[in-house]
Amino acid sequence: MAKFLGINRLTKLFQMVREAGGLKQAYLKLYRNDDLKIGTLVGIDKYGNKYFENPYYFYGRNRWIEFAPHVNMDYDGSMIPAEWYGWMHYKTDLPPIRDGCRPKYKWIADHSENLSGTKEAYYPYSTTPNKVEAWEPKAKKQ
Amino acid sequence: MAAIVRFNLLTKPQIVATLPASLHVQRFQSTQAPPPGTPPPQTKTKFGPLADEDRIFTNLYGRHDWRLKGALKRGDWYKTKEIVLKGADWIVNEIKTSGLRGRGGAGFPSGMKWSFMNKPGDGRPKYLVVNADEGEPGTCKDREIMRHDPHKLVEGCLIAGRAMGAQAAYIYIRGEFYNEASNMQLAIAEAYQAGLIGKNACGTGYDFDVFMHRGAGAYICGEETALIESLEGKQGKPRLKPPFPADVGVFGCPTTVTNVETVAVAPTICRRGGVWFASFGRTRNSGTKLFNISGHVNRPCTVEEEMSIPLKELIERHCGGVTGGWDNLLGVIPGGSSTPIIPKNVCDDVIMDFDGLIAAQTSLGTAAIIVMDKSTDVIKAIARLISFYKHESCGQCTPCREGIGWMNKIMTRFVKGDAQPAEIDMLWEISKQIEGHTICALGDGAAWPVQGLIRHFRPEIEKRMQLHAKRVSN
Amino acid sequence: MIRAPLVKALGALGSPTHQMASRAVRTSAMVAQTPAKAPEKIEVFVDDIPVQVVPGTTVLQAAAQIGVEIPRFCYHERLAVAGNCRMCLVEVEKSPKPVAACAMPVMKGWRIKTNSDLTRKAREGVMEFLLMNHPLDCPICDQGGECDLQDQAMAFGSDRSRFTDINYTGKRAVEDKDIGPLVKTIMTRCIHCTRCVRFASEIAGVDDLGTTGRGNDMQIGTYVEKLFLTELSGNVIDLCPVGALTNKPYSFVARPWEIRKVSSIDVLDAVGSNIVVSTRTNEVLRILPRENEDVNEEWLADKSRFACDGLKRQRLVAPMVRMPNGELQAVEWEGALIAVAKAIKAAGGQIAGISGQLADLEAQVALKDLLNRLGSEVVATEQGFIAGGTDNRANYLLNSTIAGLEEADAVLLVGTNPRYEAPLVNTRLRKAYVHNELQIASIGPKIDLSYDHENLGADAALVKDVCSGAHAFSKVLEGAKKPAIIIGADLLERADGAAIHATVAEYCKKLKKPNWNPFNVLQTNAAQVGALDVGYKAGAQTAVKAQPKVLFLLNADAGKVTREQLPKDCFVVYIGSHGDNGASIADAVLPGAAYTEKQGIYVNTEGRPQQTLPGVSPPGMAREDWKILRALSEVVGKPLPYDNLDELRNRLEDVAPHLTRLGQLEPAGDAGAAGTISKSIGGGAIDIKLKELRDYFMTDAISRASPTMAKCISAVNKQQRENEAKQSVAI
Repeated sequence: MAKFLGINRLTKLFQMVREAGGLKQAYLKLYRNDDLKIGTLVGIDKYGNKYFENPYYFYGRNRWIEFAPHVNMDYDGSMIPAEWYGWMHYKTDLPPIRDGCRPKYKWIADHSENLSGTKEAYYPYSTTPNKVEAWEPKAKKQ
Repeated sequence: MAAIVRFNLLTKPQIVATLPASLHVQRFQSTQAPPPGTPPPQTKTKFGPLADEDRIFTNLYGRHDWRLKGALKRGDWYKTKEIVLKGADWIVNEIKTSGLRGRGGAGFPSGMKWSFMNKPGDGRPKYLVVNADEGEPGTCKDREIMRHDPHKLVEGCLIAGRAMGAQAAYIYIRGEFYNEASNMQLAIAEAYQAGLIGKNACGTGYDFDVFMHRGAGAYICGEETALIESLEGKQGKPRLKPPFPADVGVFGCPTTVTNVETVAVAPTICRRGGVWFASFGRTRNSGTKLFNISGHVNRPCTVEEEMSIPLKELIERHCGGVTGGWDNLLGVIPGGSSTPIIPKNVCDDVIMDFDGLIAAQTSLGTAAIIVMDKSTDVIKAIARLISFYKHESCGQCTPCREGIGWMNKIMTRFVKGDAQPAEIDMLWEISKQIEGHTICALGDGAAWPVQGLIRHFRPEIEKRMQLHAKRVSN
Repeated sequence: MIRAPLVKALGALGSPTHQMASRAVRTSAMVAQTPAKAPEKIEVFVDDIPVQVVPGTTVLQAAAQIGVEIPRFCYHERLAVAGNCRMCLVEVEKSPKPVAACAMPVMKGWRIKTNSDLTRKAREGVMEFLLMNHPLDCPICDQGGECDLQDQAMAFGSDRSRFTDINYTGKRAVEDKDIGPLVKTIMTRCIHCTRCVRFASEIAGVDDLGTTGRGNDMQIGTYVEKLFLTELSGNVIDLCPVGALTNKPYSFVARPWEIRKVSSIDVLDAVGSNIVVSTRTNEVLRILPRENEDVNEEWLADKSRFACDGLKRQRLVAPMVRMPNGELQAVEWEGALIAVAKAIKAAGGQIAGISGQLADLEAQVALKDLLNRLGSEVVATEQGFIAGGTDNRANYLLNSTIAGLEEADAVLLVGTNPRYEAPLVNTRLRKAYVHNELQIASIGPKIDLSYDHENLGADAALVKDVCSGAHAFSKVLEGAKKPAIIIGADLLERADGAAIHATVAEYCKKLKKPNWNPFNVLQTNAAQVGALDVGYKAGAQTAVKAQPKVLFLLNADAGKVTREQLPKDCFVVYIGSHGDNGASIADAVLPGAAYTEKQGIYVNTEGRPQQTLPGVSPPGMAREDWKILRALSEVVGKPLPYDNLDELRNRLEDVAPHLTRLGQLEPAGDAGAAGTISKSIGGGAIDIKLKELRDYFMTDAISRASPTMAKCISAVNKQQRENEAKQSVAI
């Protein structure tokens, strides 16, 4: 009967607001993430991003990330580090903590986001030596 | 001494000349004498063994004393003063009359060659250079002259030098000839001491020096311009001709380079008359020659024989025949290694003189006869000759340097038979590409033996190739 | 033909016959010198075309007269005929054998067939023999694309190889020889044409190269491991028809079809050799000689040829200004020009300019014009000269001309070593020595010229002795038909230089013959004559004495001016291409262009103006020198009246009209400085700066920056150490 009248949806809404921590927080969360969902916290990566899962939602919206607060509005999908990428894209069901097969090499570098369009983006440069060697003046005092 | 000559060996004009002038009757004087400077035409048809009285080199085997005393006894240095005083023109004319052709291999008429030096001097001294670098394989005639009869050569230098107006003679002797060089040097010293050469040679007022120079072991220095270069102290590399040595020779001065034998017979010709010399051998091939016969004969030797003697007679009479009999003969190289080989059927009736051998597609060269009987591997023999030429090439011009090396590689393979029959034609063409395209005649000298081999012994080469192919496929 | 060197070498040591022969050679040489009437020409037929030739020409030359080129490897017009490649064999009618065209003089009525079957077969045969032992190196050989063997094999060779022995014993191989850091040798490729041997022996005068071995094992080399150290060694690279001798710094760099060629002039010495600058993608790869009969024939000295990699090092690529902390800082052009303009305004006319070794005429004219407009008359060359002697052109030129020296028959060298100061003048003297019986004497230290000469001593008083006619050599000079006296430019910088100059000039007035001026000064740098022609004074001290507030150094790198000589507040502006002595003392550095990057006129030591053409663009922010001065004049407020090169050259024509007549010589009249005979010659022994090969390689900014030149110097040092070690072992 509650389902028929749509009360369960309202209940869910209140649940979501409560989870968020109040109306203001819920509004901010909605503003930031374009979405107000509840789910189980699966894990947190070393940058502070939180990963949630809720099988209630359909495939594709099951698993989501709440980015660390310090990136504010400048979050980007490429900020997801490699170990969570697989879980996020449904390559595996095991988040990094529970997956023992993840490689642990000491040469694994830190993850960096996609810098295209930013000032730090890669711009190709010449590696050939100069045809003409310029003169280096020796420091001479008058 | 030498004035006593047999009448039957004199020609008619000579007999006429000996009679007192009062006996000269019109009848005698109407005989047609040949124009001055040409040898009288030969009338003999059989050229056979040389009579002892007609020998020029009387001490060829070293049985008598080779020094001045012995030489004087044998007739050297007799009336040299008169001959020299007769003048250059007379001597050259006498040589021309004798029909003497160069004995060093080329066979150029000596009288003509010596007359090239006749041009009026332009301040440069003239020189005579005697080519005693006897490098041609098979040849050993000059060494006999130089160690057993050196005074003939010294006197010849004086007379030939006088004929050319030279002031000195340089005898370039092969470095390997130590004994010959020392004998020669001693003879020269004796001649100097006796006043026969040097200042006022033989009392004629003509100054003439004779120097000897030893070579250092290169066959190429037997070529006249390479010899001149070696004499000047440079590397023995032949020069281009023109300019000819008669214009620019040793030290830039007019020079004539002659062979030892040619110079050594000059005094005897002047003494006994050019007509006497022309009485031996066929027309245009006159005189006597030292033949060196080596190889598969019973008694290899050096003999002085009349030109135009048949080869068979020469070998049978003087060398005891081919080992195993005349029918055991495979081939003969008639004139030193540079001349093409002739097979037995040609040897049967070939005549040993310049024209006769050219008609047989070979050449007289230095008359060093190498006899090969049927036990010879003729391909290996020719291959050994080609490797000699490869070793002795001076390396200046491209066909000789590269081409002879290539021919050597091919011939080495022909010995084993490790080649294709088409390569025989290729070898022929290569030899044709070398012949005539080089600075000096060493290229020709290397090309001809190969051509002779291919011309006469091609079946042998092909057989060898088939044998090898069969052996390899088994 | 006549072996002059051998006969000369025998001299008094030879036997009387040798002496007579050498006398005969001398008489024949004398006879050859007296001009005979033109001999009658004879007619020969080349491929049925009649040609009239002078008797004595060879078949090859007769064919060349009508444009038929006979292939050859060993023949070279400037070397003795060797006739050993046999590629030039042609058929002559009625001759059984083909004749070597390069050696056979023609006879009247000969019919020469250069394209008959016999000729073609002979060429194919020779080509086959050459290729038979030649390694298959074309892909890795530097000569590919400009190789005589390749070209002639394509044109005259057969299309396939018959060398079946490649499967058995293979081709000949020869070891490489180390003959120095300049010439790379791969002797397997050598075809034994002996051009290098003849060049080294006849033209360079160094008998280092020769043949060892006989026949197929013949090798060209130095026999003992010796470096081919002569200042003309690079020319064997041009001469070698195959890739046996190649340019070592240029090995594996470029193929000839990728290269752009620009005709230019060499400025590293005062000869003004004509060169071709080969460039690709805006860098200079190598320098080759161009033929100019009057200047350098077709040779090029080593420094000119190999110092081109100094164009890429130590370059000034940005304008620099010295900051208050004493360091030179790169700035933009405006900043630099404004800084200079400020200093000029503050100077108030006390400005001087010094033009150095490599300055081109346009820049020199622009600098003088600018300084004159700013109220200064003090423009001087870095190299000194006698005071007041720059008015008469004949005072500072090589009046006998370079080509004329070839005909001299007595030469006196005073304080100069032409072998290292101007190698291509030395080749002319050597040519005269070999062919004309030239007698040479030198006053100065003992030097090794490539020919025999008499060293009279180093005392300066000898100059007076010779010029007064008292010395034995004076008789030789006075008896000669074309005597010449060559004074070194460095000698005239001495205190008594003016006296020496005047004494010699006076004597030369006596020795003068119609159409022959015996007075010569051999300059050592390319800019000197041009500067003096345009009106510069001589000597850096002239500028320093004026104690200017602003000093312009135009390519002045010889280090003659130091900071100590100048006033404390002097603002030094350096305009040039390399960071050398000049730029290190400068307060403002304005980067200019080197000689391969600009179009400029340089006047050589004979007074012949020639122009360089730009092959590459100046690097970085550098600009052409005269353009810098034009821009500076604009900023200062006294703009120069020309905006492009043509207008500048019109101005040049106003100043000195002969300078725009490029390539032509103007005869200069008598030498003689005004009234300095009163000064006496004192001053001690005469010395020469460039005594040995080691001193030759680094004489100006470009060659000092070149790593190849440094390698040459270390090679010379190494060779000398080895020689000394051998000597000490021998003793």
